[in-house]
Amino acid sequence: MRRTLCLLMVAAATALAQSRTVSFVSCPVVRDTRTAPCWLAEYQGVLYFLGVQGGVAQDFYPPQLNHEVLVEGVLAEGVTADGPRVCGGIPLQPVKTSVMLELNRACNTILPVEDGIEPPARGRGPALNSWARSAAPGDSTLFFEFDNDFLSLHATRALQRIAEYFQQAKAKQLEVTAYRGSSKLSNGSLMVEKPGIAAERAAKVSDILKGLGLPAAALDVRVRNEERTPDGSSDAWSRKVTLLVKP
Amino acid sequence: MHRRNVVAVLIAAGLGIRAQIPPAPFPWIAPGSGMVLPKEMNFDNPLGKLGVMNADGTVNTQGHPFFEALGANGRACVTCHQPANAMSLSAETIRERWRATEGKDPLFAAIDGSDNPSLPQEKEASHSLLLKRGLFRVGLPWPAASNANPDFAIEIVRDPTGVNRDAKWGLKSPNPTVSVFRRPRPAVNLKYVLAPDNGLFNVKLGVLLDKDPATGKPVSMNMMADARAGTLTLQAEDAYRGHEQGKAHLSQEQLDRIISFESQVYAAQVSDRNAGDLMEPGGPPSLGPANLLREKAGVLNSPGKPVFLSFDSWKNGTEFRKSVARGNDIFLDRTFWVRDVAHINSIGLANPAKRSCAVCHNAVMSGMDRAPGWVDLGTTNYPTWTEPKAMNEAGELPVFKLTCRADVKPHPYLGRVIYTSDPGRALITGKCTDIGAITMGQFRGLAARAPYFSNGSARNLMELVDYYDRRFDMGLTSQEKQDLVNFLGVL
Repeated sequence: MRRTLCLLMVAAATALAQSRTVSFVSCPVVRDTRTAPCWLAEYQGVLYFLGVQGGVAQDFYPPQLNHEVLVEGVLAEGVTADGPRVCGGIPLQPVKTSVMLELNRACNTILPVEDGIEPPARGRGPALNSWARSAAPGDSTLFFEFDNDFLSLHATRALQRIAEYFQQAKAKQLEVTAYRGSSKLSNGSLMVEKPGIAAERAAKVSDILKGLGLPAAALDVRVRNEERTPDGSSDAWSRKVTLLVKP
Repeated sequence: MHRRNVVAVLIAAGLGIRAQIPPAPFPWIAPGSGMVLPKEMNFDNPLGKLGVMNADGTVNTQGHPFFEALGANGRACVTCHQPANAMSLSAETIRERWRATEGKDPLFAAIDGSDNPSLPQEKEASHSLLLKRGLFRVGLPWPAASNANPDFAIEIVRDPTGVNRDAKWGLKSPNPTVSVFRRPRPAVNLKYVLAPDNGLFNVKLGVLLDKDPATGKPVSMNMMADARAGTLTLQAEDAYRGHEQGKAHLSQEQLDRIISFESQVYAAQVSDRNAGDLMEPGGPPSLGPANLLREKAGVLNSPGKPVFLSFDSWKNGTEFRKSVARGNDIFLDRTFWVRDVAHINSIGLANPAKRSCAVCHNAVMSGMDRAPGWVDLGTTNYPTWTEPKAMNEAGELPVFKLTCRADVKPHPYLGRVIYTSDPGRALITGKCTDIGAITMGQFRGLAARAPYFSNGSARNLMELVDYYDRRFDMGLTSQEKQDLVNFLGVL
């Protein structure tokens, strides 16, 4: 057992040295603590720390037991397999998780409270940018979980801001482009979103914009349904809708 | 316990209840009775007294559309929204009406006061769900008008009342209808029910809140078990044409008077047979209808403003009052694994999430959800439903098999094939993810309106607490359960 563990550690260290990005699908694990539960996921014998249970206003939306999770993360600077762990796992930052929609009842592990294992102290936390980003008032990019059109609180706020900007700027057109994403996992396998997902995202965002008062004629809606070639590093950000206000 | 016995117990116990308002002599208000309702009324109930307040003063019911039969079956709004029952209807009151009228009261109208309109209506057995559980039939068109291409197909697995397979009323009738059976919601303290969440969005689904068609403003989406009516106007029209079998439309004046009455009536317990006077100065500031009138609606639970404010003044009181205060603390602070609740765990809060009751029941003074509160707690969906676990065991409620299409989002915790006694919100949206989702109800006046849950499955507050304890493996001790029961009973 110990020999196997050592081999796994060596293999993990080698893997960490080779790549700073990690992408995999596995069962999430929740670890109980004396304060807030931590969320972890194991891949090739290495336990990764994903985040801490919080509210919908935080950037990290935890995985769900009864479902596998797609983890797409980056090893924080200086992190090694034998380095300090957070809540028992190697921290990924940033990390984007996607709940796989179909049930997997094998995903059912709750680790009990253990002395010395606590979530990181609540600080400022990571930047709130895994759901929506904006470089200027007239543009915004919304990000999604895999095969999902759910808009997080951050994405809805971004939509509201862009609608308000459109109206204040008395703009004529808002370009909405919805994409179908794909991911290359660390084991080399590929995942491509379902064909209709870009259209679903476009429809949802368009409906909301119209509900916020934008005229349908002002929306230039584009659906990019073609399969994208995943690169294994920026894939989490390929599941998106971009919005661009035009004068 | 019978009302008169409760009064006797109170007197014998010498509790010195401050209630200066004598018990109302009219526990049942019949349509067209023409009585004048005072500004404040008290009604005996098994745990004490319910206080009902008309904030705008006395109400003359003569000719008032809430109190007059407007449709074809002799019912009025008040038939199912009785002040003595916190503007809902207890199963005990229903049974009393059956005994008093030999089943002739319009309350038992065939359309929804019976298990199946095709059954012989003079027989008590034909009204079994209403008499046993206080359940009215809710017949909903299928597919819903809002979604002609629903996510799932419906099969009838069990149909004990026969209504879902009925040639005239069933799923394969000329007007395909799914019948489920639900408790009437209390038409009271409505500012808390109607207060929309802060903002334009339903944060749980990431979509816009529905809007009031008259004003264009967002609505709470917290009214009715399936939130199918967003405003009191829509609800009144729905009830008039459905429950009252009205043929035309309500006039604007009728709507205005109904809504005006509903918007000013408050109800909550004012005395408890063990805790005594709930309204005494210095007592818990959330209790009684006057405090419901005073407090602001739409406020989210926070350390500075907990859901039912403070019970600290009772922490050094009688044993019973201490128990109530502990129940409030358990409600607010005792964490457990909230698990597999669609529209709670599935919205980014983690599954499971280690939380307390107050995280979901988070609206100050009502205990509802400030966001649109339809969730699949599990009361209607197999295997966590409140009905017999064995499929072949005789049950009182219908059972449907819902099969979701492969190209839609499945129910997050039950997948694509779901057995349910009430699909809840999904009958309105056609969404697989909404199967079994029922809007949370308010916590006020509970003592006056047993049984509980939308399917009337919890005959008393202990059965309600027991369900949560089992459902979430909370590990509550007997004392903790009793503390919660005592706490809920004084609200």
